[in-house]
Amino acid sequence: MRKISIILILTLTFCSLFSIAQSPSKVTIKSAIKDTSNAEVPFATVMLLNPKDSTLVNFTTSDGNGLFSFNNVRNIPYLLKISHVSYLPHQLMITASPTPINDLGVVKVKPISMALMEVVVKAAKAPLRIRGDTVEYDATTFKVPPGSTVEDLLRRLPGIEVDAEGNIKTQGKDVKRIFVDGKTFFGDDPKSVTKNLGAEAISKVQVYDEKSEQSKLTGVDDGTKEKAMNLELKEEFKKGSFGKATIAGGTDERWASRANYNRFNEKNQLSFIGYANNINQTGVNWEDYGEFKGQNAFNDYDNGDFGFNSSRGGMYFYSDDDGPTNRFDGRGFTKNFGAGTNYNFNNKKTKFNASYFYNQTKLNLDQYTFKQTFMGDSSFYNDDTLSQDDFRGNHTIASRYEKELDSNNILIVKANVRFSTSSTGDMKTQLFSGGEQLPYNRLSMNNSSDLNSWTVTSASIFRHRFKKKGRSFAISAGYNISQSDGTDKLLSWNEFFKAQTFTDQIRKLNSRVNDASQLKSSMLFTEPLSKIWYWESFYNFSMSNNGRDRQVRKDENSVPIEGLSTYYTSDVLYNRLGSSIRYSNKGLNVAAGAAAQQLRLDGKYAIDKEHSFYDTIVRTYNNWTPNVSASYQLPRNMWLSMNYSYEVNEPDISDLQTVPNTDNPLYRSEGNLDLQPERIHSVNMNFNYWNPSSFASVGIGGNYGAYDRNIVYNQWIEVIDTLGILTITKPGNVDGGSRLNSYFWSSFPVIKTKFTIDINGSIFTSASPAYVNDVLNETKSKGFNIDFGINLTPTPKLIVSISQNMSINNITYSIREEQNQQIRSYESYASIKWQFAKKSFFESNFNYTIYKNEKFGFDQDMPIWNGSVRRIFGKNNKIEVRLAAFDLLNKRVYISQYGSSNYIMHTNAPTLARYYMLSLTYNIKGFEDKLKKNNFW
Amino acid sequence: MMLIAALANTGKAQPVEGRIRYLKTSNWTKMISAVDYLSKQQRERVTYMWGSRSEWKQYTEMYLKPGNTFYKDSEEQAEADDDGYSWRRDEYSIWRNFNDGRIIDMIQLLGKVYIIEDTLKPQNWKILNDIKEVAGHICMNASWYDSLKQQSVIAWFAMDMPISGGPERFCGLPGLILEVDINDGAMVITADKIELKPITTEMDLPKKMKGKHVHEHDYFAVLQKHMKERKDSEEPPFWGIRY
Repeated sequence: MRKISIILILTLTFCSLFSIAQSPSKVTIKSAIKDTSNAEVPFATVMLLNPKDSTLVNFTTSDGNGLFSFNNVRNIPYLLKISHVSYLPHQLMITASPTPINDLGVVKVKPISMALMEVVVKAAKAPLRIRGDTVEYDATTFKVPPGSTVEDLLRRLPGIEVDAEGNIKTQGKDVKRIFVDGKTFFGDDPKSVTKNLGAEAISKVQVYDEKSEQSKLTGVDDGTKEKAMNLELKEEFKKGSFGKATIAGGTDERWASRANYNRFNEKNQLSFIGYANNINQTGVNWEDYGEFKGQNAFNDYDNGDFGFNSSRGGMYFYSDDDGPTNRFDGRGFTKNFGAGTNYNFNNKKTKFNASYFYNQTKLNLDQYTFKQTFMGDSSFYNDDTLSQDDFRGNHTIASRYEKELDSNNILIVKANVRFSTSSTGDMKTQLFSGGEQLPYNRLSMNNSSDLNSWTVTSASIFRHRFKKKGRSFAISAGYNISQSDGTDKLLSWNEFFKAQTFTDQIRKLNSRVNDASQLKSSMLFTEPLSKIWYWESFYNFSMSNNGRDRQVRKDENSVPIEGLSTYYTSDVLYNRLGSSIRYSNKGLNVAAGAAAQQLRLDGKYAIDKEHSFYDTIVRTYNNWTPNVSASYQLPRNMWLSMNYSYEVNEPDISDLQTVPNTDNPLYRSEGNLDLQPERIHSVNMNFNYWNPSSFASVGIGGNYGAYDRNIVYNQWIEVIDTLGILTITKPGNVDGGSRLNSYFWSSFPVIKTKFTIDINGSIFTSASPAYVNDVLNETKSKGFNIDFGINLTPTPKLIVSISQNMSINNITYSIREEQNQQIRSYESYASIKWQFAKKSFFESNFNYTIYKNEKFGFDQDMPIWNGSVRRIFGKNNKIEVRLAAFDLLNKRVYISQYGSSNYIMHTNAPTLARYYMLSLTYNIKGFEDKLKKNNFW
Repeated sequence: MMLIAALANTGKAQPVEGRIRYLKTSNWTKMISAVDYLSKQQRERVTYMWGSRSEWKQYTEMYLKPGNTFYKDSEEQAEADDDGYSWRRDEYSIWRNFNDGRIIDMIQLLGKVYIIEDTLKPQNWKILNDIKEVAGHICMNASWYDSLKQQSVIAWFAMDMPISGGPERFCGLPGLILEVDINDGAMVITADKIELKPITTEMDLPKKMKGKHVHEHDYFAVLQKHMKERKDSEEPPFWGIRY
């Protein structure tokens, strides 16, 4: 190495000495620029480029007489380039000069044809590429309708003429030959190409001079040149497909399969997805569902409800309550099936989406619940067992259309339809016992119900921007309609253990028909008062009609039972008019305003549809609701935001009707005609900090809600000798009640990119008053939750994370202070991802949770350990084989503990525990053969 | 050095004075697509999911007088849907003096403001053969690869505006840069309004300049460290830095 470099240095030294002897080291290059008519060309840009890579070395401008010179530049070869607004760029090679002055004499430049300059360069704003004699058009910038031929495209290209027969002329000459990607296409007739080939396939059109056929044959350049054209094809349409399919089988007859397939090009996306399994995956995961919805997965938040408490302008992930994403709640065993298709069309002005999905879940559930309920000076206990079979199926059709009518007007139209079927059969046993846990009575129920329903929702939104910057108007209209038709078969036995044992049997048949419709509209007007002050006004209107028919019979042949059967309708008319002033400047945005709202409830009650209404209630609620919101973006990546609102929520119509529901004979719920709306003051606050250099982040926030007036469910509990323990609930208004939730999160890299600590936590309190046997009980809940985690990535092949969580909730009951409870849970989590060979991965996680409530005598722990090994095979890593073990210790059950108003309870339910599964996945695009460090975008 | 001498000369040729408004269009999915260390699957997914709604527009502006330019973000909002909501802007002010060959930049990088005072070192442009029109001016095409930020830059400079300035930190061409295209459309900055008018105080340095005084190579060093760290953690690098 050393020898070579010495030789090199010597050689270089020798060479440079040699060259100094030959020619001067500095040179002055000069010339005069003239055009083809010998006129001087002043103010042309003259550049000296490195001939190897066209790098700019020096430049100057020609003077008024077209003269230029580069004084004292290095004497090496250059590429000299002359450019001028009116002339074709001209370039020539110059070699190192033997003399100190290199006079190039006159350099001639050609004027650009006016047609090309005026039309291509100026009007079409398309880059015109000029290489020697070749002029190149960028075909993609000339818009032609879909399905157009090349001829249609050429007609739009300036400087090119196409006559009625399809003959092509350019720069006054006929185009004799057309090539496609440099090759002759279907013989010599240019028209066979232009009339047959689609314009969409073309990326560039090049026009150039070609030697005549004559000179090509003879090899003698006779100077005559013909115009030729080359059509360059697009490398590929931006199109493709991706997808994957998995089949898996395991022990205990566990199996699963899923597949998704997406096809797309620049404007269209079409996707299919399907799944079936008995491993409690009730739907697809978020990532797959997002890909299924494609560009429609994230929509602008466009429900059309303008005004306070409707987050306008944000984005949300398309979702709905019964959507096809996995929402297994951890209880029981399910069999699932679902399939759907989605189509998106997107271009700059129009977006269209349509999708269909069917999903169904069969649930098989056994559940045990223990519950303690407090009264003034005593408690009673429930031991409940439930065995349930449940089926749900949904057909969902969704569509959305967005059109930018012009730069100031946008229209959005949406419509969704859903048909649902569900049927449930359950066996429930409730054992009631008193103070010393002596049994009172046992209620056994065998219920089944069927429900069919359909819903249509639709909305359209129109936005207009005025010429005045910042002034805008939006209007929306929506219509929603739904109907449901259900039947319940209820059978219950009640056995008494007190005094003497006897059994009471009740058989009931309910039929329920509900229908609802809603018409709504909103308007929003924004007026800029100055550059920093804005005035926003909105109006909301909605009119809804509900009808509920509930007929309770002993059996099919009997008449409805009076006092339990009811038919009622309710009409709700809502009007709100509001206005606010906003200040927006330098990262500070503050808005304050108020709205006046009127709510009119009109309820009518009858025994059934045939009978006339026996009662009517009309309620009108008028309210002022203030609203303040502020956000401030501080320097150094800190954000502060808060908002205050006063909300008034009307009572639900079912809480206003007086006919009780006694489906469970020991739990009777009644309505209350005198119920008033709920009123809440709410405050939200947030602070975030992010350090873009270290990637540390901190956030704290909180929300507080205080009720002026609350709607609560009061209870009356009594022991009736002939019935057992009867609970009656009835909604009522109570003053007071509050909730406070505050939280923080933080993430600190200790060693950048390798070791991160996360600490999160929350503190919450709530106070919920309600009457129990006419005594006001206030249940308070106070607790916190803290989470500490570390993430380690020592090498790209190993990712380890460990976390520890603790949550504590203290629940106190003002009527029975000695029953105050503490619910605790501790969770430890560890996971490892390890790429142990080139295409082989080991993944495992361990989760240990302890549930405790000492007062209640509840102490349960659950260690869950999962592990899997997978390997990628095949060309482009398209095949993955995975062997997975779920719940190796066979400990998984569903556990929950919960305390509220005047009770405390815990629930256990068996669910899918240990099984092993082998799965095979084929991925069209191939799997990544490394661990993913980030999964969140 | 020869090039710098040339830069000063062009300023004298044909005086240009006024304000240029540039429209800056950023395309988030194209930015992600250009990050070569992210897996192909990840980049394709982002394009598939967000391709049709990943653009946003801002205005920037440049003041110029013979031999001098000053470039910064504009107060004007380009997105019609903004409804006037106000965001805090990161500090970004770029002064170029082609007569003295000096630069002064005030740039917020990773949350910190740097004041860069140094000699002018223009990009190493390659001159290509295309011409097109931008804002009424015929422009020639030049290209440069920024190995630090891994960006391929195409600039269009006006043949009839002999001043060597340009948007962002780009400069050093025989004419004023009226359009820049970074990473094939990930960011496009185009002059959309050229007003020739006398400049008074618009280009003056602010009286107080708060920030850390550094040389250009110090600034590049901070940037380089950040690019490497983001690459190591397989994250896109452009949050906290000017694209």
